[in-house]
Amino acid sequence: MSTFIKDYIDREVITRRKLLLAGAAGMATLAVPAVFGRGQARAALTDPAIAWSYRDRASAYWNAVVSGGEAFVESIGRSKSDMVNLISEGSSEKSLSDIKAFLSKTGGNCAIACDPNDSPNARPIVEAVQAAGGYISTIWNKTDDLHPWDFGDNYVSHMTWSDEQPSEQTARILFEAMGGKGGVVHLGGIAANNPAVERLAGLQNALKDFPDIELLDAQPADWDTTKAAELMSSFLTRYGDRITGVHCAADNIAYGVIEALRAEGITDMPIVAYDGNPEAVKLVMDGQLLATVFTNPYWGGGISAALAYHAAIGTFKPSEEPHEHREFYGPTVLITQKDAAEFKAQYLDATPEYDWTDFWGPSNGQIQYR
Amino acid sequence: MKLTRENIIRWAPALVLLGLVVLFAAINPAFLSQRNLARIALASTPPMMVALGVTFIIVMGSIDLSMEGAVSLCAVLFCLMFLKLGGSLGAGAWLAIPAILLCGAFFGWLTGMVHVRLQIPSFMASLAMGFVGTGAAVLVTGGDIVRIDDDVFRALLTWRILGFPLMVHIAALLVLLAWFIQNHTTLGRNFYAVGGGEELAHASGVNVHRVRLAGFALAGVFYAVAAIFQVARLGQAESVTGANLMFVAITSVVVGGVALWGGIGGVLNAVVGVLIVNVIGNGMVVIGLPSYLQDGLLGVLVIVAVVLSTDRRLVSFAK
Repeated sequence: MSTFIKDYIDREVITRRKLLLAGAAGMATLAVPAVFGRGQARAALTDPAIAWSYRDRASAYWNAVVSGGEAFVESIGRSKSDMVNLISEGSSEKSLSDIKAFLSKTGGNCAIACDPNDSPNARPIVEAVQAAGGYISTIWNKTDDLHPWDFGDNYVSHMTWSDEQPSEQTARILFEAMGGKGGVVHLGGIAANNPAVERLAGLQNALKDFPDIELLDAQPADWDTTKAAELMSSFLTRYGDRITGVHCAADNIAYGVIEALRAEGITDMPIVAYDGNPEAVKLVMDGQLLATVFTNPYWGGGISAALAYHAAIGTFKPSEEPHEHREFYGPTVLITQKDAAEFKAQYLDATPEYDWTDFWGPSNGQIQYR
Repeated sequence: MKLTRENIIRWAPALVLLGLVVLFAAINPAFLSQRNLARIALASTPPMMVALGVTFIIVMGSIDLSMEGAVSLCAVLFCLMFLKLGGSLGAGAWLAIPAILLCGAFFGWLTGMVHVRLQIPSFMASLAMGFVGTGAAVLVTGGDIVRIDDDVFRALLTWRILGFPLMVHIAALLVLLAWFIQNHTTLGRNFYAVGGGEELAHASGVNVHRVRLAGFALAGVFYAVAAIFQVARLGQAESVTGANLMFVAITSVVVGGVALWGGIGGVLNAVVGVLIVNVIGNGMVVIGLPSYLQDGLLGVLVIVAVVLSTDRRLVSFAK
């Protein structure tokens, strides 16, 4: 531990020397620790550049994440365009090289929020950021053996979402609507995707308490509306009237299921979904869906940028925070027919104002590894 | 009809289809129920339109990979126009249908121009235009879903004649139209002339460039029809509405016995091919095949179908 701190201080000193040689910007950075008077271990930056590294903006999900990031940047008096968009296009290599380029451009004077695209990619990214003296918060992808607290202050936090519990809740709502008996089919995501695995596991947990409900079949619909419609009609041929409820792993899948049933003239099938997209919330209000789950990507995008930024400027010191503030689950909000209208008014018709310094308020506890 | 080698190969795709139907029906008789046949027909309708369009291109010896982008773009534009024009078929929104067919034709013509005028191989030109289409779809929707709730329009899905949804009947008429274009119009015969030997066609006075442009524009119209059917089936459009159609359409056309090197096969082969692919997809679930085996088996069945339905003696090498 002591050598770790020594190495860390050494590295920080070197970084600062480089910046000093680089000129006025370096002078300013050096001045900050002196003002705080806490010595060299405090590596606060002034006016760090902010970046969000993500897949692309085409899906509603990432669009919401990035909009949250922009809202945070505006909340600190900068303009939207001051947030640099590092778009990985689903390539881990591009994600890493873009971040490295951003680090050298800013000389490490930066705060980055990032989805590393896949789990193994998180380590090289975090190491590059630490080596440059920047600050980073990640979401979704990292390996289980990689922890923010092993990187001092530079790896600020990691947030992910656990889908098992909320998926179990939607399953219970479904089973109660089915009167506690009958047959259910599950249409899942791409089979190996972590959220797909967790959402099916949630359904299976709930099944244990409902012995009269039979899981007729569970097959992947690949998060795809068209495939979901085709799979649902094939299920109808195989199981016919035995299907009395449908558990979907995503809103997109539920849209396909509803349309496949509409084609057969079935309009009263109990269906639950997941993701809390605006269209799905409307379907809950119309009574076509029983429930869906909202994960607040807007807040997730804003708070990840806020955590990296505030750690960078020294608002809080990550290494002094408990573990549940470094690795935590994002919020999940269950939307049922009772509260859909209220939810729509609160989250969809108006964008809620978030306090971007309430870093952990809406979060959902420390990440548990199985 | 004599049992010659040629005849067997000609009828092989239909025999493969028949064999699959018998196999699935033997394992689960519900496969042959009228309602399931309607389900297969319904699932086949949008890819059928795409396959018809791309058949013309493949017969010319070119390839068109722009269908996913073209269908996505047409679908979202159709929905947006439909809503702008009143959101109900009775209230003037029907105008969106001819408008989107023109859009599809224009998109296809543009792909053709990139291919013919800029002299880029059709494979690359159409793939690039596909990305342009998807990108444009993202741009106009901002990543959101556009929904259509008009019951009159959705009658394409919900109104059944003889147990089959209305859109299946319309698709059948369009198959006849495509068959007519192929066999009884100058344009259709010229596709074969170009596909059979471009130099020869050119020497015989066929304006090859114009035939290619017309082919791509015609394919674009069929993609637009596919987009309308896709919207009718799902009640919504987004930038991924056309996803997977490339694989399904190209596979179907090849499985049906249309040769990728041009000049061989036609509309009816494409129809049989689409039915084979959709019968496999539906049948595997209906007989209860575990999901982890389905993708693998689909691949194997596609290879078997292609082996049976193409005359490999005609080609010296495959590329």
